Amino acid sequence: MNLLYALATAILCGIGLYLMLSRHLVRMALGVSLLSAAINLVILQAGRLGAVLPPLVAEGAATVAAGTANPVPQALVLTAIVIGLALVALFAALVLAAWIKLGTLDTRAMRAAEPTAAAEPGPAPDAVKP
Amino acid sequence: MSLFALLALGFLAAGAAPRLVRHAGRFAATLLALVPATIFVALLGLSPRVRDGMPVAETWPWVPALGIDLTLRLDGFSLLFSLMISGVGALVVVYAGAYFAEKPAAVRARFLTLILLFMTAMLGTVLSDNLVVLFLFWEATSIVSFLLVGFEAGSATARRAAVQALLVTGGGGLALLGGIVLIGAELGTYSLSALYARAPELANSPRAPLVAVAILLAAFTKSAQYPFYFWLPNAMQAPTPASAYLHSATMVKLGIFLLARFEYLLAPLPGYRSVLVAFGAVTMLVASVQALRASGFKAVLAYSTVASLGILVMLVGLDGPVASVALVGFLVAHALYKATLFFCAGIVLHATGEGQLRRLGGLARTLPLTAAAALLASLSMAGIPPFFGFVSKELLFEAQIESSWEAAPIVVAVLVNATMVAVAGIVSLRPFFIPGRAATPVLHGETPGLLLGPLVLAVIGAGLSLRPDIVTRNIIEPAVRDVLRTPVAVEVSLWHGFTPMLLLSGLVFVAGGAIWFFSRTIHSFLNRLRGLDRISGDALYERGIAAVLRAAERVTRRLQHGDLRRYLGTTVLALLVACAVVMWRVGARPSLDLSGPVRPVAVGLLVVAVLAAVAVVRSRSTIAALVAVGLAGVSTALLYLVNGAPDLALTQFSVEALLVVLLTAFVLPLPLATAPTRSRPERRWDAALATGFGIAVLVGLQSLTNQPFDRALTDAYERLSVPEGFGRNVVNVILVDFRALDTLGETAVIAMATLVVWSLFRMSGRSPEAADAPRMPGAFVLAVQGRPLFWLVLAMSILILLRGHNEPGGGFVGGLVGALAFAILTLAEGADRAGRTMRFHPMAIAGLGLALALASGLAPGCPYLDHSWGTIGPAGVSLKVGTTILFDVGVYLAVLGGVTAMLRRAYREGAR
Repeated sequence: MNLLYALATAILCGIGLYLMLSRHLVRMALGVSLLSAAINLVILQAGRLGAVLPPLVAEGAATVAAGTANPVPQALVLTAIVIGLALVALFAALVLAAWIKLGTLDTRAMRAAEPTAAAEPGPAPDAVKP
Repeated sequence: MSLFALLALGFLAAGAAPRLVRHAGRFAATLLALVPATIFVALLGLSPRVRDGMPVAETWPWVPALGIDLTLRLDGFSLLFSLMISGVGALVVVYAGAYFAEKPAAVRARFLTLILLFMTAMLGTVLSDNLVVLFLFWEATSIVSFLLVGFEAGSATARRAAVQALLVTGGGGLALLGGIVLIGAELGTYSLSALYARAPELANSPRAPLVAVAILLAAFTKSAQYPFYFWLPNAMQAPTPASAYLHSATMVKLGIFLLARFEYLLAPLPGYRSVLVAFGAVTMLVASVQALRASGFKAVLAYSTVASLGILVMLVGLDGPVASVALVGFLVAHALYKATLFFCAGIVLHATGEGQLRRLGGLARTLPLTAAAALLASLSMAGIPPFFGFVSKELLFEAQIESSWEAAPIVVAVLVNATMVAVAGIVSLRPFFIPGRAATPVLHGETPGLLLGPLVLAVIGAGLSLRPDIVTRNIIEPAVRDVLRTPVAVEVSLWHGFTPMLLLSGLVFVAGGAIWFFSRTIHSFLNRLRGLDRISGDALYERGIAAVLRAAERVTRRLQHGDLRRYLGTTVLALLVACAVVMWRVGARPSLDLSGPVRPVAVGLLVVAVLAAVAVVRSRSTIAALVAVGLAGVSTALLYLVNGAPDLALTQFSVEALLVVLLTAFVLPLPLATAPTRSRPERRWDAALATGFGIAVLVGLQSLTNQPFDRALTDAYERLSVPEGFGRNVVNVILVDFRALDTLGETAVIAMATLVVWSLFRMSGRSPEAADAPRMPGAFVLAVQGRPLFWLVLAMSILILLRGHNEPGGGFVGGLVGALAFAILTLAEGADRAGRTMRFHPMAIAGLGLALALASGLAPGCPYLDHSWGTIGPAGVSLKVGTTILFDVGVYLAVLGGVTAMLRRAYREGAR
């Protein structure tokens, strides 16, 4: 089973990266979303899978029962999920802002910060939405 | 007075200079000069102790763990330098006050501050016993020198000279740092006195040659040796008071100071002395030729200084005790006459506004005292008895004859000293005493402030040799002793009898006279030799700088190509290569982890997730891709659920729901179909890269899960959760208690992301409020059931928050579910009405949440975020409450406010 988990996680990571390598901003955003979900799975597996009981202490007991899942990666992943949401939302907002300001979603056309020497001048910063 | 107090006095004076200039006006410089004068007198007071072989040492622990202490040590050699620094310093301050008398107060204040700072840095350098501290002060002198050379910042030449001086001396400073670090690594100490005690250890260590090269580089750049000498003549752009102080009497001698300090340690290295003699000789020759070629008053002086520095380097290189005596003697003589000549050059420049020697003449009538001082100084420079320069020159020849060298250094020294005689004539006789076609007109006469410095130094230079025993016993002998680290009886007298040295002196004088007589011819002849420019280091420097800039441009163009895809690709490729190299180096072999029983549910979920991800890639429609990403997310959430992580499942579900709402708002205004942006080969390359990345993840994960698992941390958290965290949900206890600081940081990240999203569209210039079109007559189901559903979900979110400490739930999930409630309301009734229902601005809510989380950790009497607990309620029904709940409420509010704010932005912007 561990092999299957690792295999699926690896495929998700690879696909996430493949999408991020695209020059299309929306596909990059989707890639970020996939990759952040996949990396959460990596963290979870680092704490070992296999147990199915949640790490809860029964009422009156001093500690968790045997065979509960590892709480440490869960605590890490929980915040990571929320931060992943914030990240993807921020990315999507940037995509929209770029579209409004530049009228393109292709990263090749976004050269305001690093203009090319002479060959292809980037679009004027105040280019309007078509 | 303590040495620390002396340094502090210098710093204080520098700091007080601007205020003093404002209040005391023209007397400020004279008042400030009292500080170096006080230091000078205090040092004189310490000199009997030093003379008797009891150095003054003071220590202040600074970074004891690294062996860095503020240790100051005044021995004979540092006393010699300190006296020159403070003595000439006092005169320079007075001189500067008069030199800048007509300048605005702000300019005067700036100059006086810098010159006093410089003096303090110099004192610190020569007094430091700890090499790291010495390096810091050394660098400080470079930086202040940069500011002084570029004092007239409006002039491009001055700026170029300043940058050049900084780059050359700063480069040497880096070498010095390297050498010091090597010494520390070899011997484990940075203390000079400790090094002296273990001198053979350093000389025998394998890295000693490297240390020697580093020290030589530092000294040669600072003391302007060939091929690094070019910065010094260019630095004549500095105002003359600075030139007199930095570039003749003090800073340029720091290199000599360093060499002398390390002579005892490094001289046993084979070839070390020869390198010094060779560089000194070449520098002397090159500088002599350049001095005869130069035509500016200050330029001639600058080149003659370079030649003198070459003599000093050669003297360090020569063996035998007389060489050290000659070194110290020449240091004193040179500081006296060269500072005087610079002072005189400044007066002439100031009075006539003319810096070219050939346009100056007959100034003895208008500037008589200046002319007298210049004459005295140049007689000393020419080595005419009875001046101190004569004594030091005799010592130089004696050192050369006594040393184990053959005739070569003597020939060079005779030639160079003859040139010095000629230069002395050129800079004193011609402008002052031999009338040109007409005496140069003078704008104004001499002032007492300008005259004090040159007269005092010139008279000392003349008087010293009349009673040489005083200075010999108190200054020269202790200095020589502490360079050689063995007592030496020094006998300095004016008349040695008929010796070979006297013969050489006579030879020098005759040759010098001849050079002087034909100096105009020689000057114009040498100026026709354009080839000499090519061997000057300046051209080399120019070419070097240009090459560096070109290379930087090429590298930048190559690395910063502006293509996002290539940036990311390069990063990933580098990561993969690094992984592969590390695996190969440690000989790791990938292993398979086949453990764990296969669970059909989990396998099914994994397959769905992978298929969904594949669908994202295949789909060219944004909507379809969004749905597929959501599907992958939901599969992940279910995977969490079947693996004992209900908290995560709950969170992931809420996130997926919110993402749908958020992304549709952000992405729907964009074109819904996406055309491929990569060519087929590009896609193939990216696929290969992504496959490599996937393989790396696979191999990494498999190797990781194959390792035995260390449960120590997990066990500790599980054990402590109830007794110390008072919570039965271990995940939540970790979040709000054990690792609360992490959680706080992550909450802040969310608040920051919200802030960015919020301000992103504000900057687009259009008022979002105006564009809030009511485009929602959304779905009928939502319109009818929106509000009840909203209240239900909101209530649920609070329940999730409150029970989170003992059951699955908590602030993060609660906040997300709460945001979901507002998302439902937004979909049902539009962003406007949803906002009104919220009453408060979502950003305010997020800020309040963050503040609450921050404040919850501030319990009196215990460490930050180490939550306190108490019991409240009437007897019998006690309720345990802790500040953790405040913390979790803070997280809840921050997430709720943050996500809602993003939602509102998304709907306002997306609607347009």
